[in-house]
Amino acid sequence: MSDLDRAIAQLRACRPIPEAEVRELCHKARELLIEEGNVVTVNAPVTICGDIHGQFHDLMELFRVGGDVPDTNYLFMGDFVDRGFYSLETFLLLLCLKVRYPDRMTLIRGNHESRQITTVYGFYDECLRKYGSANVWRYCCDVFDYLALGAIVLGASNTLPSAGGEPVSSSPDADEIEIEVRNSDGQVISQFLRQQQKDVARGRINRSTPNGGSSAIMTNGGATPPPPPSSSPPTSTPTHTGPPGSSATSTSAGSIGNPAGAVLCVHGGLSPLIDKVDKIRLLDRKQEVPHEGAMCDLLWSDPDEIDGWGLSPRGAGFLFGADIVRVFNQRNDLSLIARAHQLVMEGFKEMFDASIVTVWSAPNYCYRCGNVAALLELSEDESGMGVLARSNGDVNRSDGGMAAAAATGGWAPGPGGASVGGSGGQRGQSIVMDGGGGGGLLPARAGPARRYRVFQAAPQDSRGMPAKKPVADYFL
Amino acid sequence: MADATNTNDELYPIAVLIDELKHDDVLLRLNAIHRLSTIALALGAERTRDELIPFLDESVEDEDEVLVALSEELGGFIDYVGGPQWGHVLLSPLENLAAIEEPVVRDKAVESLNKICVDLSPKQVEEFFIPLTIRLSKADWFTSKVSGCGLYTAPYSKVSPPIQEQLRQQFGQLVHDDTPMVRRQAATNMAKFVKEMPAAIVVEEMIPMFQHLVQDDQDSVRLLTVEILISIAEVVPKEQQASHGVLLTSLRSLIEDKSWRVRYMIADRFEKIAKAVDEEVVARDLVPAFVKLLKDGEAEVRTAVAGQIPGFCALVDQATLLNDIMGTVENLVSDSSQHVRAALGTQISGLAPILGKQETIDHLLPMFLQMLKDEFPEVRLHIISKLELVNQVIGIDLLAQSLLPAIVQLAEDKQWRVRLAIIGHMPLLAGQLGVQFFDEKLSQLCMGWLGDTVFSIREAATHNLKKLTEVFGVEWANEAIIPKVMAMGGHPNYLYRMTTCFAISTLSTVVTMDVIAKSILPMLEKLTSDDIPNIRFNVAKTYSALIASLRRLPEQGTIYTLEQAKTPFAPSPKGQQLIDERIMPSLEKLQKDDDVDVRYFGTMAASAATGATGAPEPMNTSP
Repeated sequence: MSDLDRAIAQLRACRPIPEAEVRELCHKARELLIEEGNVVTVNAPVTICGDIHGQFHDLMELFRVGGDVPDTNYLFMGDFVDRGFYSLETFLLLLCLKVRYPDRMTLIRGNHESRQITTVYGFYDECLRKYGSANVWRYCCDVFDYLALGAIVLGASNTLPSAGGEPVSSSPDADEIEIEVRNSDGQVISQFLRQQQKDVARGRINRSTPNGGSSAIMTNGGATPPPPPSSSPPTSTPTHTGPPGSSATSTSAGSIGNPAGAVLCVHGGLSPLIDKVDKIRLLDRKQEVPHEGAMCDLLWSDPDEIDGWGLSPRGAGFLFGADIVRVFNQRNDLSLIARAHQLVMEGFKEMFDASIVTVWSAPNYCYRCGNVAALLELSEDESGMGVLARSNGDVNRSDGGMAAAAATGGWAPGPGGASVGGSGGQRGQSIVMDGGGGGGLLPARAGPARRYRVFQAAPQDSRGMPAKKPVADYFL
Repeated sequence: MADATNTNDELYPIAVLIDELKHDDVLLRLNAIHRLSTIALALGAERTRDELIPFLDESVEDEDEVLVALSEELGGFIDYVGGPQWGHVLLSPLENLAAIEEPVVRDKAVESLNKICVDLSPKQVEEFFIPLTIRLSKADWFTSKVSGCGLYTAPYSKVSPPIQEQLRQQFGQLVHDDTPMVRRQAATNMAKFVKEMPAAIVVEEMIPMFQHLVQDDQDSVRLLTVEILISIAEVVPKEQQASHGVLLTSLRSLIEDKSWRVRYMIADRFEKIAKAVDEEVVARDLVPAFVKLLKDGEAEVRTAVAGQIPGFCALVDQATLLNDIMGTVENLVSDSSQHVRAALGTQISGLAPILGKQETIDHLLPMFLQMLKDEFPEVRLHIISKLELVNQVIGIDLLAQSLLPAIVQLAEDKQWRVRLAIIGHMPLLAGQLGVQFFDEKLSQLCMGWLGDTVFSIREAATHNLKKLTEVFGVEWANEAIIPKVMAMGGHPNYLYRMTTCFAISTLSTVVTMDVIAKSILPMLEKLTSDDIPNIRFNVAKTYSALIASLRRLPEQGTIYTLEQAKTPFAPSPKGQQLIDERIMPSLEKLQKDDDVDVRYFGTMAASAATGATGAPEPMNTSP
């Protein structure tokens, strides 16, 4: 494995590795990725990143701000290549890290991870220029076909721990903060309290007991119950459910090991052909991104301020509105969808009552857009119940997670989870009815605590421009 | 017969290389060119001269990339053609290359020609090199003439006076050439060329040429004459300069030039100019010129001249400095361009030793205070980074009072790189300010960085703590640092808990056995059962660092202090005991962890502890 560590060191210095090593690396990566499902399960804590687009030096800046691999867990939501000058180094480094630390890195596919797109937007030309042949491009494209289409993050905390040694002084109560935006200096740019209505919902859910304790709280109407102490152990709810996003659950919040609801990460967005996360799992993903269909939509769609579905100006995928997201999140027990795919000047943008967020991680996109970039940090669940050893595809790699969870008196997944799914379903339904209040609206979920780290492009002197090739004329 | 086959076998790879020289694929040709010396070595000197060089002579119709490589290779080829006495055979292909359109090829060819010229005998130079120079200089097309300009300096000192005169005349032709490209190249090379000549000839022949170039209508030519002026002034003795009014007039006209690029060149080389001319000129002409450039309309010019402040001010007497220059320098503090202020920030401290204590307090300190409040963080940072100079002059007490607010502000700057830079200055400041001042005013900041939101700052903060411990000693660290570091281990976010691991690894060489046993190991033992695998494998990494220290630590003192004092020390058996009793059980647990990365780093640390050299369990990444 020292070969791999050496390759990582070389790529970190932004020097490409020899063609033969790329071939071997891609081969190993494929063996690893083929074992992963279409939707990878990731446990919090994890740092979620959006498009990188070959901006290698800005990826290094990202690691400087967010922490290095393997110390920090990362999830990259696709579009590693094209447009920037160092697509090759960027993708190979991420791939090396994935192969070296498979449990610390998650890569999912973006619309640029495709043969057709990379021939137009720069990655193909870059491989040709750096190796003199298209072989490396071919190896990389073969890996693209094996990348997962999405990921589900479980066990994210719904309270923000204070940054650093000092507590967040200005906040009324750390528990009530749902979102905190910090720039890279650590100053809080803004904080958003949980909406009162959500407080009701969350308070009720956390306190609900099988004997109908929830109704007592509902009679309070709009009154704000004190937020539950963050240390209240979810184990007090006896209901056992399977992991969100699988058919074994249908509670809308706070299943054990998932007090804040799950987060679905995809590159683009939703598809009219996909109503449940399980449907993504049924796709045959090992192919070039098709021009239409569910797989294409997941990588190409965008949220928009419309009702229902709309045609996408991109020519692939769809536009989808707030109602679509709300129904999808409700049906799949999701509290949030994290996606990338669209440039946002502030680095991140929450839409539709914080039910979907766009994360963008390429600062000063195309070296000229002047935007900042962002990371989304989802903290670990403080109760410790949300942490399960990861085992995607390879059961032997990390074996004991289940046993550990069982030992702490927690949740035993698998068939057991599925069998109690029914009761969970009933409970979920009652919540839909209650929370609707009037008008039959589904309640917005209290999302996981999200901490965005905003960062800027790496300083100019630490990046070298290629001497010969002029700036390509493609843009947006 | 057998012999012949043998030779053929040996020559076969060479034949392949020679074939590759003619190959269709550029990459293969390029490869062959880079291995030209191998081919030449195999062919032998004679065949290289008779066959290879004539072949190369004809291969100038190629891609620029190949030609650049060829030009470069030929520069080191003297040994392969039979030594210096045959060096002139290389001139012919290089002459062709020096006439190519692509500047990169020409530059390399000229470089190689000059390299070869050094090894040639005076006879060879006169017979082969000079005619080449003349031919290129007289060519019709400007590309050859541009190359020709670069071929005067190297042969000049090797040839007889009549030939030297011929060279000077020919050079004069180039200076008067119609195309600005050639004049630019002539001006560039003239600065070096004049240094080869005695003062008399410079005065008689070169100054008129210089004068011609100074009056050129292209500013791109005029700006190059600044270097010539410096060269001439360096060659002509200072006492003679006064009699050549031309020089002074030229200097004045360059300072007043209407093109800012010319004024920029003057500003950028002001100290060099001042050192090359006599003192009278400095006092009479350069001081007003300097003030004028400090007030120049172009920010670029002001930035350049700001960089010359300490260098130039050291050359003038104190009275002039205070009366004529300081006022204008003080105005730069509120310059409208942040780049000017930043440049001033890097240089201004250099004035302190020149001015002396009282004047520094009167003049510099107010400027410092204002620049420390500059809205542009880089300005503040530059000031702080150069503080040692001021400190030596006025002492730390005075400085500290005015400094503190600025440091605190920088320490909380929005840009994390500014914070990173100020962390870098902390150990230095700590050393100068003393422990009491530090504890009162700065320790809070240093600890705060441990919880910064940016990973790089947290990392730098741990290194800072190590350096502070080196400055203030382990007792101080035990009271001021260790509890704070350990407290981070209880942070609810894993990224911050990890800081504890990083800090312990970093501090492991500056703490005593006692601190490790009483404070550090209990915390790590707690973290071995952390929920997040990332923490657990960082604990394993931290154990590795601790094991390395414990193996060397004596009963008392730290590795750092003992190494600094150069006292020989022997490891205490207690260290091994701690490894065996406190660390190994934890590592055994980590080696059986559920997470593969924890197992890997646990095994790494354990094998370091047992001294086993065997590779740890290989990463099992494939099913």
